[in-house]
Amino acid sequence: MFKDTFDKLCWACLALVLIALLVLLGMKAGSGEGKAASGLDKAVEREMAYHARVELIAKLYGPVEGLRKEGKNQEALLKLDELIRKYPGEAHGHILQGEILREMGALDEAVTSYVAGVKLNGDYLDDKSPLSRRGDIQRLVDEGLKNIGTRAAANPGNRTIAASLQKVNYLRSRLAGGCE
Amino acid sequence: MMRDRHFWLVVAAGVLLGGLGVLLAVWGNPENSGICVSCFIENSAGALGFHDNSRMQYLRPELIGFVLGSAASAILFREFRSRGGSAPLPRLFAGIFMMVGCAVFIGCPIKLFLRLTAGDLTALAGVAGLVAGVWAGVRSLANGVEPGPPEQKGRGEGLLVPVGFIVMLAFLFVQPGFLLFSGRGSAAQHAPLLISLAAGLSLGVAAQRSRFCITGSIRDIMLMGRRSYMLWGFMAFLVAAAGFNLASGRFNPGYYGQPGAHLDALWSFLGMGLTGWISVLIGGCPFRQLIKAGEGDGDAGLVVVGMFIGGALVQSWGVAATAAGVPLSGKIAVLAGFAFVLAGCLLFRERSA
Repeated sequence: MFKDTFDKLCWACLALVLIALLVLLGMKAGSGEGKAASGLDKAVEREMAYHARVELIAKLYGPVEGLRKEGKNQEALLKLDELIRKYPGEAHGHILQGEILREMGALDEAVTSYVAGVKLNGDYLDDKSPLSRRGDIQRLVDEGLKNIGTRAAANPGNRTIAASLQKVNYLRSRLAGGCE
Repeated sequence: MMRDRHFWLVVAAGVLLGGLGVLLAVWGNPENSGICVSCFIENSAGALGFHDNSRMQYLRPELIGFVLGSAASAILFREFRSRGGSAPLPRLFAGIFMMVGCAVFIGCPIKLFLRLTAGDLTALAGVAGLVAGVWAGVRSLANGVEPGPPEQKGRGEGLLVPVGFIVMLAFLFVQPGFLLFSGRGSAAQHAPLLISLAAGLSLGVAAQRSRFCITGSIRDIMLMGRRSYMLWGFMAFLVAAAGFNLASGRFNPGYYGQPGAHLDALWSFLGMGLTGWISVLIGGCPFRQLIKAGEGDGDAGLVVVGMFIGGALVQSWGVAATAAGVPLSGKIAVLAGFAFVLAGCLLFRERSA
């Protein structure tokens, strides 16, 4: 690979390009442009967007939370229906719906709402997320396995109860972790 | 057999793979995913910006370790040889469809057995599928299906993949702004960087020296039975994984509520069947392809590129299964994969006159 002029020329140019590359990388590291480059730092942009989203959720669903505090659960559910229709891709409405239904003792319906929410956004299972409802979901699963599990065992032919149990198992699987 | 050094190398590789497969999960990787080549590729493709699932983006150091460990070992033992040129485009697509099969099952053949040894009974359908796929691959080879012999090349083609992974290693430490890391989801769960890298490197060396691979083991067991060293390596892998799972309290036998698993047994069977069949035709499972790419095999390198493309596509196109089940696009992609393999069998078959 060092036989003729062309080879030597290629080697010389390669060396030159590599040196230039190293110099540029060194300059970039020295100027702190690497991580701080605002245009390129997608991680920061993403984090900002996420926090903005969390704030937007708090604002959008604020009225529902207000109704819940006043004990007006039926009105809160009506308001949630409206919001779920308006933002079909947003999980938070389903999660709030699940919380209210659980408070009202409608366990099967609460499980259905939680499943719909978790399927749309897994952040509700993450400890690190500000939206996390992991503890609530764990308690729901424990209660669901006891309550719905007993009913399913007593009524093996009942498809509705079997479907509810399947939903509890889905939440259980998501809580167990693993790759998504 | 037991006096042969290679026998012990294969057994050691099996123990290391099973042990680290569990320990990496103990140290922070997702449950039952201490080692999962397909999940790691999906995570890494996301970190490089190839897909936008913000819960699946992390440049997995283990993956880099596998390739660089294999390259270092091959260079050290003078086994590094640039070779390639055997049906390049079909291999690229084979890499894509292997990822489809893995994504529909949720895991590569290594994870399949890690899940099983952790008590996940949903993995049984995958085991049956993988065995059936390997059997179909062996029958295809026996009937003359052959992608073509690789050419021995004196050029540096085989260096491209290891160099690519050196660049990724640099990215891992420098962490340029364009690299994406998940803050939530399964990609946010990972063992400490240096431990992951060391585990990957040691497995890369062990797998390069021993030629150990999951689908290769099943194939050899089918062909040679107890005479195959791979049988003992495979047994060592299973015993080590089960032992570490039991010892670390991660053995939870059951069918329901398993981590990273779904209940669509038919599609688990078909997903692993597709992966097994392709693996035999192209000479190794996703893990083995990474090891061979590190040794200078340009054909395996192209499969690795295909796997990265596949890893991005299964996330972007919603092909990957979740705990909720297999989406329609995943089912369509698996069937397209079988169509690809069957057409390949027809086109690449050497027929005797």
